[in-house]
Amino acid sequence: MKVLHQSQFFTSYQCDKKRCFFIAFPHKTIQLGFCQLLAFRQQVNKIDLETHFNGKNHHGMEMLMLCNRQHFFIFNTLESIDLKEFITGTFTMLELNSLLTTSA
Amino acid sequence: MKDLVRQKLSIHVDIMDLLNKQIEKEAHSSSAYLAMASWCDHNALSYSADFFYEQSLEEREHMMKIFRYINDNGGTAFSPEVNNINHDFKSLEEIFETALDQEISITKSIHNLVGKCRKLNDYTTEHFLQWFIQEQMEEEQTMRRALELFDLMGTDGLGLKLLDERIPQIREKRPE
Repeated sequence: MKVLHQSQFFTSYQCDKKRCFFIAFPHKTIQLGFCQLLAFRQQVNKIDLETHFNGKNHHGMEMLMLCNRQHFFIFNTLESIDLKEFITGTFTMLELNSLLTTSA
Repeated sequence: MKDLVRQKLSIHVDIMDLLNKQIEKEAHSSSAYLAMASWCDHNALSYSADFFYEQSLEEREHMMKIFRYINDNGGTAFSPEVNNINHDFKSLEEIFETALDQEISITKSIHNLVGKCRKLNDYTTEHFLQWFIQEQMEEEQTMRRALELFDLMGTDGLGLKLLDERIPQIREKRPE
């Protein structure tokens, strides 16, 4: 398993043998197929961080369900900010890998 | 490290995002035409109403074409949310002007997508989008033809009725 990207709270891995990805959250690690990773990315991209600061999101929490509702996560504001950076970083590394593989 | 993304997905991830945005635009367009059809129906402009019902269906077909394309190529298409549909219009002329503006906006969006495909070397999607470029050219022309009718026939009582009856003929005859 190879590390794709690491942020303050999260780490993503790629497993060539199983042809899937893993994400290590602070309390557990989950396995995702590519479609599930895309769905996760979509959910993270939809998080509106502004609502955490303008009073619209009073509790300052984000709730996400992943992998066909197998996993349920609650993130606070700091984790939500980190999550956005983490997803961008993971997909940037995947793209970089694609470029390197193509040019090799 | 294996390129798992390429193994699963034939199109570029950024292009997939833009295609999903295009789905939203087509869905919005379809609903907007439905609102126009409703206005025409309520104002006894039955030919124009039929025209916009058909336009609405066409836009939905465009949306479905993109939706299936994303999923067929390993991506994830997201069902769009539609809001902010305008139901208030001053006249039939305003409706056709709005429709033309809407088509121009869709054309620009498609062109932007093609530009991005070229930048990212996504030739598959660029090829797929060629059909839409042709389609948009025809859609714009159809709306322009409708607006020309207003210049020709005016919008007083009888002129408007005659104009409404001419609306079914504004579609370009396409070769089978």
